[in-house]
Amino acid sequence: MVSAEPFFDFTSVWSSMGILLKGFGLAMFCATAAIIIAIILGLIVALMRLSSVKAIKTFAFIYTQLFRGIPLYVLVIWVYFGLAIAVGINMPAIMAGVVTLGLLNSGYLAETFRSGITAIDRGQVEAGMALGLSKREVTRTIVLPQAFRIIIPPLGNQYVDAIKDTAILSIVGVPELMRETQQLADLHYRPFEFYTFAGFLYLLAVLTVSRGIAILEKKLSAHSAQTPVNTAS
Amino acid sequence: MKTNSYKIDWNVIDKYMPELLKGLSITLEISAVGMALALIFGLMMAVGRLSTNKFVSRISNAAVQLCRSIPLFVLLFWVYYGLSLKFNILLTEFQAGALALGITGGAYMAEVFRGGLLAVSVGQTEAGLAIGLNKGQVFRGVVLPQALRVVIPPTVNVYVGLLKGATIVSVIGVSDMIYVAQYVSLDTFTPFELYTVAGLIFVCLTLSISGFAYLLERRLGRSRAHG
Repeated sequence: MVSAEPFFDFTSVWSSMGILLKGFGLAMFCATAAIIIAIILGLIVALMRLSSVKAIKTFAFIYTQLFRGIPLYVLVIWVYFGLAIAVGINMPAIMAGVVTLGLLNSGYLAETFRSGITAIDRGQVEAGMALGLSKREVTRTIVLPQAFRIIIPPLGNQYVDAIKDTAILSIVGVPELMRETQQLADLHYRPFEFYTFAGFLYLLAVLTVSRGIAILEKKLSAHSAQTPVNTAS
Repeated sequence: MKTNSYKIDWNVIDKYMPELLKGLSITLEISAVGMALALIFGLMMAVGRLSTNKFVSRISNAAVQLCRSIPLFVLLFWVYYGLSLKFNILLTEFQAGALALGITGGAYMAEVFRGGLLAVSVGQTEAGLAIGLNKGQVFRGVVLPQALRVVIPPTVNVYVGLLKGATIVSVIGVSDMIYVAQYVSLDTFTPFELYTVAGLIFVCLTLSISGFAYLLERRLGRSRAHG
């Protein structure tokens, strides 16, 4: 009976499609939720790094260095198995995973946002102030919209990385694509087929997002070329 | 067990430090082998992408895209459980881990090498040939020093990425630092202390290498401004 089996047999993959796609959906949800957390935290930390108060600046610096330096795998294990046990909080795996992924990405995004904000010409801020806008109004209406255009490509790359990183969340039991794949591969004893298919789904997600960013980037740069403000000076 | 009965006990770290460090040396070893493979794969793909043969450049391009898009974690399982079982290639955990790291790192290195090779203008080669140097001398004395200046800092960054990636190899049973931490905490029930120390060691390691890359970048950048 063994010899009658075909070398590549994807029938068990097709029949498990529902579970795999559900896992894929959860992976995308985790990546998206984590990026939203990372954008919020990253923006706060970026603004803190640009603060004139030394203590705030130092805290923000340590924050970015710490989360950029620690591997996701180590951090997620620390949060889920270490911290949870030591402090006695029972965090659901999905929450632990999303929070960890969000924290890690916020360290990278804080740096991205900071470079985006500092890329804006000081003259723009001064012009805004000269017009009588408050510091906050200048940040909100002049600096951030322009910085946004600069940070779109690196933000997109970060999202792609987050999608790939969700696979690691399987380690704490988040039932995302990789977790489901591992279990199904063991159950059907078809590791090659299942892992190949999982790889294909990640590839599809990553290529789709990258293509989307490329299109968005093109649109934004076309828009900026038409803006007279940038051609002046 | 509703109340939190966990008592933090740092003594366990003193006791198991040699084991943790032994695990760390395995992480360093596997990331080094992975990096060596990444350099080879990367150079092959970079040269392929710059090939004038359209078929070769397309294949190389697709290979880079593919290797960059698949998560290392998936690649690791694919190599260790999928590939080796399907084709009867007996890989040890260490070999499978290093291979997966090499494939992922290779895709990133391909981009780095391509950037380095493109950064040296053709005029430099032509000028070298015009003043009577032979092809080997031009490559060694003119192209390579300039390409290395562009390539070295991002290469160090790719290595940092691989080092962080290498922490996941314990999932297929490589006895690295995290594996040791997991194993010991089964015995002592002190996961918090062990993972905290393991995490701190990794942060120190990656930050010092990144800092080195930053200094290198500034130094190499400055020497370019002078020369």
